[in-house]
Amino acid sequence: MSEIVLSMKGVEKVFGAFRALGPLDLDLRAGERLGIIGPNGSGKTTLINCITGVYRPDRGSIHFQGRDISHIEAHRRARLGISRSFQIPRPFNGMTVLENLLVPLDYCHIDGSKEERARSVLTSVGLAGRISHPSESLSQLELRKLELARALVGDPKVLIADEAMAGLSEGEIDEVLAILLALNRSGVAVIMIEHIMHAVMRFSERIVCFETGRLIASGTSAEIAENPLVRRVYFGE
Amino acid sequence: MFSIDILLNAIVTGILLGSVYASLALGLAITFGILHIPNIAHPTLVVAGAFFVYTLAQWGLDPIVAAVIGLVPFYVLGLALYLFYSRVFERRGGANVLQSLTLFFGLSLVVEILLVLSFGSELKSVNVSYIGSSLKFGALTVPYRLLIPALLGPVMIAAVWLYLSRTNSGTAIRAVAHEERALSIAGLDPAAVKRHAFGIATATAVVAGAALIMIGPVEPFGGRFQIGRVFAIVVLAGMGSIPGNLVIAIVIGVAEALVASYLNPSWSPGVAFAILLLGLAFRPQGLFGAAR
Repeated sequence: MSEIVLSMKGVEKVFGAFRALGPLDLDLRAGERLGIIGPNGSGKTTLINCITGVYRPDRGSIHFQGRDISHIEAHRRARLGISRSFQIPRPFNGMTVLENLLVPLDYCHIDGSKEERARSVLTSVGLAGRISHPSESLSQLELRKLELARALVGDPKVLIADEAMAGLSEGEIDEVLAILLALNRSGVAVIMIEHIMHAVMRFSERIVCFETGRLIASGTSAEIAENPLVRRVYFGE
Repeated sequence: MFSIDILLNAIVTGILLGSVYASLALGLAITFGILHIPNIAHPTLVVAGAFFVYTLAQWGLDPIVAAVIGLVPFYVLGLALYLFYSRVFERRGGANVLQSLTLFFGLSLVVEILLVLSFGSELKSVNVSYIGSSLKFGALTVPYRLLIPALLGPVMIAAVWLYLSRTNSGTAIRAVAHEERALSIAGLDPAAVKRHAFGIATATAVVAGAALIMIGPVEPFGGRFQIGRVFAIVVLAGMGSIPGNLVIAIVIGVAEALVASYLNPSWSPGVAFAILLLGLAFRPQGLFGAAR
């Protein structure tokens, strides 16, 4: 079994009197495909924000590759190799697609030209033909691809895909899934947060389910589909 | 009575004045237009830059050389100002516009008082051999004391625009204006990017100050007369459009010169706002800004 790359122990996040997350223990293994599901308000976004450094946990610790990252800033976590895409695409408007990727490459130490690296990643996500177009001109699917490309260009160890398929057609969902699977095959651990159940079931090796900030179930797609707690949360059974 | 010579002189003078206005507004185009920090102290910092140039000119240095020497200390001053601003506001969850305006208004007063204490309240000017004469083309007369400062504007604007559009750190400055959180997830520290941008904006103040004091005498409270005009330029250009900044500044400069020549010089200060109101009525995002 591969090593643990990301480990959360007793992580809690509270806003005033509202406990948004935890206490939570959760590990992610190198190269793993982990799906996170749960209804709105179940703590999924709070979890991402705690991992990526937007929020600092009130209790507990987060370790990445053995290093305690609980209290370091978001940009430092990104440099260590934790990347994410946003549920609502956040391109750098006023820039071309290529320039959008050159921004994260500013801090990266890569072999060869940074522009070549950016072009290569854009080609891998199917945006080769849109390199010099302004990001404002992209379609919804292209914006999702740009989000993923920008997250990938720095060569992350962990990618968090936050509802990367929301609002897409079935064919477009397949395209995004293919990109994420190809990325995972290159060794990147992927955390997929998604409401499109058939996509998360197809993609994930392991799925965890959240409700009101707590992890209520964990297992394979088949186990989660049959889990009575999950069925109660999703179907009211 | 209408005279083609007066018209020609007014247009040329307006273009040159507009170019100087663009230098004055450049720092604000970065702090307000790109970083969304309403630094109303910027014109006062330009005046401080003029006094810096004046001081070095007393030791025999050319004003332009003095401005180049001033780039580093003014850049560092900008870093310090942003550090203070971010400690006071941003790290505590952000500032509202009124708080920021109050802070920079206070800064402006402090700088003015420091200038009065250091230099007195009298007008100060620089004298260089090449700014005493004029260039003549028939009926057109262009004084060097206006021409040379006017040439500084496009040079500085081109340098800043090339930096913002062609370098990675310049691209990061443009990115921070749009998506601060996405920038941090991309591995860049938004605070460091903004600090650097604020440093560049403040460094432009010393070059603009050199232009100002080459045109005519400067006094510590001179920044107050420029605040409205530079804000009008930045807003009408489209908040952060650097080339747009130059175009709008020239339009305002020409309009002011025409009003001064054909109507009444005392009406000139109102011209920038009249153009601003008209421009925003047709394009609320500014003439060179993207629609949101």
